[in-house]
Amino acid sequence: MSVTNLKSIAIIAAFSLLFSCNKEEEDIDTITEVVTSDCDASTGVDKIVCLANNYLGTLSTTQQTTSVNSLNLTNAKKWSNLPENGSTRLGLKFSALSSTQLLAAKALLAEVMGNTTDQGYNQFIQTTLSDDNLSAAAGGPYGSGNYVIGFLGTPSTTGKWMLQVGGHHYAANVTFDAGEVVSITPSHQGVEPITFTTSGTTYTPMATERAVMADMLASFTKDELAAAKISTVFSDCLLVPGSTSNTFPATKLGVKVSALSSTAQAKVLAAMDPWLDDLNESTAANYKARYTADLADTYVTYSGNSSGLSGTSSSFFTANADYVRIDGPGIWIEFICQTGVVYPSLIHYHSVYRDHDQDYIGL
Amino acid sequence: MSYSFLTINCFKQLIVTMIGVLVVTQGYAHQSPTTMAVMDISPRLLALELQLPLSELSLAMGQNLEESPETLLQTKKEELETYVLKHVHAYVDPKQPWRVSITDMHLDQEKDAISGRPIRELNVSLVLSPKQGENTRRFTLDYDLIMHRVGNHVAFVSIRNDWEKGRLQNKPSEIGIIRVDTEDNRIYPLEIHLEKGDGVQGFMGMVSYGMQHIKEGTDHLLFILTLLLPACLLVRNEKWAGYGGIKYSLTKLLKIITAFTLGHSLTLLIGTLGIQDFPVQWIEVLIAVSIFISAIHAVKPLFYNKELWIATGFGLIHGLAFSQTLYHFNLDSYELFLSVLGFNLGIEFMQLMVIVITVPAFIMLSQTTVFGYVRNFLAGLIMVVALGWIMERISEQPNSVTQLVDLIYPYSHYLLLGLYLISILSLIISLNRQPSKNEASV
Repeated sequence: MSVTNLKSIAIIAAFSLLFSCNKEEEDIDTITEVVTSDCDASTGVDKIVCLANNYLGTLSTTQQTTSVNSLNLTNAKKWSNLPENGSTRLGLKFSALSSTQLLAAKALLAEVMGNTTDQGYNQFIQTTLSDDNLSAAAGGPYGSGNYVIGFLGTPSTTGKWMLQVGGHHYAANVTFDAGEVVSITPSHQGVEPITFTTSGTTYTPMATERAVMADMLASFTKDELAAAKISTVFSDCLLVPGSTSNTFPATKLGVKVSALSSTAQAKVLAAMDPWLDDLNESTAANYKARYTADLADTYVTYSGNSSGLSGTSSSFFTANADYVRIDGPGIWIEFICQTGVVYPSLIHYHSVYRDHDQDYIGL
Repeated sequence: MSYSFLTINCFKQLIVTMIGVLVVTQGYAHQSPTTMAVMDISPRLLALELQLPLSELSLAMGQNLEESPETLLQTKKEELETYVLKHVHAYVDPKQPWRVSITDMHLDQEKDAISGRPIRELNVSLVLSPKQGENTRRFTLDYDLIMHRVGNHVAFVSIRNDWEKGRLQNKPSEIGIIRVDTEDNRIYPLEIHLEKGDGVQGFMGMVSYGMQHIKEGTDHLLFILTLLLPACLLVRNEKWAGYGGIKYSLTKLLKIITAFTLGHSLTLLIGTLGIQDFPVQWIEVLIAVSIFISAIHAVKPLFYNKELWIATGFGLIHGLAFSQTLYHFNLDSYELFLSVLGFNLGIEFMQLMVIVITVPAFIMLSQTTVFGYVRNFLAGLIMVVALGWIMERISEQPNSVTQLVDLIYPYSHYLLLGLYLISILSLIISLNRQPSKNEASV
């Protein structure tokens, strides 16, 4: 092969890289304009149902059948923190969707998840990019094409239905009933590695989650930290899905928020935000109010974090098995650092957000 | 095999148990590595094999065991043993705990089901001995290895072999899960209630195990067939000559088989009793060599009229290999006696089946004029296979010959069909030709 040939191949490759990168940006930023014009007239859950039907309308009959499943407990429990292997989740894989279908799906997700910076829809897309990054490094079951979207029950403004979207490091389960959002859990988020660069852009999708949890623990006094710490260690979140999924602990561990300083109490509340901001603004506001009301009876516990120092945020969540849990009457958030799977020399993050009263609501 | 006779109750409640459900534990995929606790149950002994992921063990022991796994067992063997023994208990009466001893400890590497990443494991073999008057059908397993410290750690408990129920499949089926009960943060002991079995079931289990062993033992089968290949022939001038007649053939076959049986029964008994600790690898090599020699014998008589001694001698070697399969059941003397008897009967029965199926073809072939070619061709093939096995068993690496054999073996009924087709064809060809006296000798 001649040098000229090599050069032209390199130029083409560079252009296609540029092009693909632009296309990705376009996906994230402008899809709402592209396919949602029909639904712009409505707001709230009406708009979500409109967008859901819009998406379903782009599907073939066979695809629709695969997409909409019965709303029952067995199906509702099909969320996972494992890479997709074909039977983990219900619905359609992104890789099985045409570009039009995928845009319609993403328009729906953007509306449900909202547009808070680095949270919601934006974090979801960053998470799928992180999986593409893993796929490039390790192949296997990783990659954005292995993320799955589906419905339990038929989307409507009057009935009860659930939107399930998930892949290796993301699981969102949002339940609607009679035009209201009635549950936004279980939810799972993770990222590996914690920082990655794709097409020249560096992403850190869970940096905020880590920061708020570290700020919270750092705001505790030495005594408060001692009261919050447990000797049990964790190698993963406790309430992960799967064959051994289990019940919420009856006894809450660690320190009760009402026993903390007012500064620390505010930090506990702030630590919940990145999980609640993964839903659109109005939904997030409702849940923030719900958990604020519960705040005094909420507990914080942590383990690992042997380097953790009161007053120093950066001393928390640095090593494998550094773990924190917020456990309230309703809220349950776990956040943990784990040894990487594809990059074993680096840590990666896992988190689970659940709700004592609203997981699989009514099922 | 369904496991519906098994009932497991937990001390209080809430430890997830699976009743009457057969789950092969290897099929699981979990986020953080789990412990596999595999039980081999015989009436007076419970053998427990633990596969402990090093990453989780490190967290539990508060030290990084993954740093230099190569030297782990040299530097920390005692510490690991003490740790394991502290967290594994069994009893019927909590005041009278069973004796627990470690019989082996080594490092293993498993692959994560999804990512394919290597998971380093500490593999620990334990033997738990019930008190006088107690047995292994009903006891409490008080176990909190790793999970006493690691809150999300899970141990899957399964039964691989259960002698008294004749369950000798070597496939683990899950019977329970031990983990921290998340509701109250306690680890409940697993109460194990197994339906009563008996010696008859154990014996019958061993008979079918023996049959299965021959059915799946490509090398043993091939050895027998190779030995029988020239058995119907007479020898003239140190060469195989014509067919010896039906009575001659059957007597010879019976003698060879009986001699082989006597040989392997003897070493099976000795080996199973553990009197001698034989090097498994070299036994396997010797078996392959025995096949090779028998194949040469099929071409040119090496030990004509001494077949009985040879069959006995090779029987001794094959019996040593059989004994290795019984040894890990950890049986007591009475059960061991029943097992050796049952296993042997199973082997015999299966061998007889093979002979009944194949010998008519050999007798047919022996009378044809082309048997010399067929026999030499088959013997050549067998030599290649035997050489493949010899190389594989010395190098501990599969080669293309052994891989091909493994590939073909499931279709061996077609080979049998082929043998009969060749026999019938040869017979037809022979009948159409004018037989000459010496044609059968090659």
